[in-house]
Amino acid sequence: MRAATRMDYAAQVTSFLLGQMPKLLAGFAVTLTVAVAAIPLALAFGMLLLAPRLSGRGLIRGAVQAYIEVMRGTPLLLQIYLIYFGLPLIGLFPSEFTCGVVGIALQHGAFLCELYRGAIESVSQRQWEAGRAIGMTRLAVFRYAILPQALMKVLGPLGNQLIVLIKDTSLVSAIGVMELTLTGKMVIERSAASFEIFVAVALFYLIVTAAVGAGFRLAEQRYAGRL
Amino acid sequence: MPDVLAKNLPYLLSGAVMTLWLSLAVVSLSTALGFIIGTLGAVGGRTTRAFVTAYIFILRGIPVLVVMFLGYYAFPAFGYRANAYVAVGAAQIVYAGAFVAEIVRSAILSVPAGQIAAARGLGMPRAKILMHVVFPQAVRLAIPPLLNTSLTTIKQTSYASVVGAWELTYAAREVVERTLAAFQIFLGVMAIYFCICYPLSALSRWCEGRFVVAH
Amino acid sequence: MIEVVQLTKSFGELRVLDGISFGVDKAEVVVVLGPSGSGKSTLLRCVSFLEPYDGGEIRIDGELVGYRMSGRGQRVPRSEAENARHRQQVGMVFQSFNLFPHKTALENVMMGPLHARGQTKAEALEIGLSLLAKVDLSDKANEYPIRLSGGQQQRVAIARALAMRPKVMLFDEVTSALDPELVGEVLIVIRELAREGMTMIIVTHEIPFARDVADRIIFMDKGLIVEEGAPGQVLMAPASQRLQLFLRRYQGDYLAT
Repeated sequence: MRAATRMDYAAQVTSFLLGQMPKLLAGFAVTLTVAVAAIPLALAFGMLLLAPRLSGRGLIRGAVQAYIEVMRGTPLLLQIYLIYFGLPLIGLFPSEFTCGVVGIALQHGAFLCELYRGAIESVSQRQWEAGRAIGMTRLAVFRYAILPQALMKVLGPLGNQLIVLIKDTSLVSAIGVMELTLTGKMVIERSAASFEIFVAVALFYLIVTAAVGAGFRLAEQRYAGRL
Repeated sequence: MPDVLAKNLPYLLSGAVMTLWLSLAVVSLSTALGFIIGTLGAVGGRTTRAFVTAYIFILRGIPVLVVMFLGYYAFPAFGYRANAYVAVGAAQIVYAGAFVAEIVRSAILSVPAGQIAAARGLGMPRAKILMHVVFPQAVRLAIPPLLNTSLTTIKQTSYASVVGAWELTYAAREVVERTLAAFQIFLGVMAIYFCICYPLSALSRWCEGRFVVAH
Repeated sequence: MIEVVQLTKSFGELRVLDGISFGVDKAEVVVVLGPSGSGKSTLLRCVSFLEPYDGGEIRIDGELVGYRMSGRGQRVPRSEAENARHRQQVGMVFQSFNLFPHKTALENVMMGPLHARGQTKAEALEIGLSLLAKVDLSDKANEYPIRLSGGQQQRVAIARALAMRPKVMLFDEVTSALDPELVGEVLIVIRELAREGMTMIIVTHEIPFARDVADRIIFMDKGLIVEEGAPGQVLMAPASQRLQLFLRRYQGDYLAT
């Protein structure tokens, strides 16, 4: 392309993108809402799975382990489809939004449980001894010595997992939730737009994931000095 | 086996075959791409390393589905009529390649500096140090996370269905929309994916236990 | 005050303690010497009941450690709460310090009073400050362990153990992981404790220190007590060949076999 046409093209694209901004922002808002809804659910679900995973009786622990393996071995998209298409068959009619959020939380909760477990197990056995040696009960040692250290160690992997979660919200577009990715697709199909829309979409995601990543890295650095 | 699942099993299994082909292509090509880029990112000059860092940062920060859509719409925009598989496959290769590159780069950089110093002390030329000292250890360090990444890539081939490429998940949704037997079909297809993925997942877990490199 | 009778312990096939018997009086300092693998650490860990023991008895002030006798005369493990309370009376300092890295030196010392004994923050603070002063680390109260030298960390560890006002202090090779120039500052603290009348069992390799501070020396090898006696006698005129060999190595003849 010659310089003049290139500039025209750039001007065209930019003005078009700016025109679509309201739609994209709306989609972005939905993406954020899905993430904000799914994250606490996933964090809590992972915590719920943790106790049986670590110390439950054989049968329960086996069930949790099996669940985690299934989550590791099957795509999130299928799980979301299962919920969305399956629940109406048993008389439940949750919204697409709910299906998506629940699907994401169920899978990421499993991964988060493993993350928590890894962090706890990475705290040295000697810390347990040190706590018991001054007469603390196992529960007290866990609460005041092990858990705080595990929390500091979990920050890195946790940040990464949450970034994956935020990116996974794009999957709910497959069941019709009008989040950012589906919005992009709609814009392309309804106007004469081309792939530049998705460059804008990508930029939105990049801003969020970069911000979350930076935030967690800052938090990590605060404690990295001690451990 | 439940009847609807049984009746549609051949169709679904052919979808599984497509998924396997896709997975094979994407995993192998993205691993190759990632190795090259990752190595460049570890040992290249300052501009090269900057480019690699940017590439990794950008691709890891956006959803693979968006990259697939980009690929799907970019090809015709530039005048190429590629079929859905090529477009989506290429996109996924570029995406997964970024993750492989990061793993390879950090593995190379984690080889203890003392080893490299020792090799230089023996008078080994730089290329040989790379080949005989750094790479073998980097590969050992990289294998567990690479297995994990391959596992993720295989699962992500299912997202191609959202963009319109036909594979196992696409086939599953087709069957369910026709028969409404959501539980049978989706659970059955999950089982198929599990059969494909579990060996890799188990191998990856086993490796994590075994490949702790003693320094 | 401490009675150990025919103590046995095995780890799987390996018999680590093979019938140990000795006693420690109040305010007495007993030093345990021996080659690695002789069971010295395991002995201390059994006294503190960080490890259960298989046979024999450990009694502190007459009370059986770790177990109780059931009505039918059988030995039954004590509850975790009882064992925790027992460990409050037995202070233990480890070779690898084991400070809590996420807490400052002061907070480390306060951990026991706060979370094992349930004292108030004010009480714990007072105990913490006075003990840090005792080990000469008042100026490091708000530092995290990572910024302290090995010797300083070990002194904090001693203060942390003392915060529980134990009846007896156990020291498990507490200077073995330290650089030589840092060893002295820790030994000074231990010697001061001895002078104040603390009952102590010390496992160490520092022979001159042992001679200086011990009321009695026990030499262990392969899970048994081989020799026992006053420092002057045991160290100057060792009776057994194994002890002679051990001492020769530590006194410079490092090739002795």
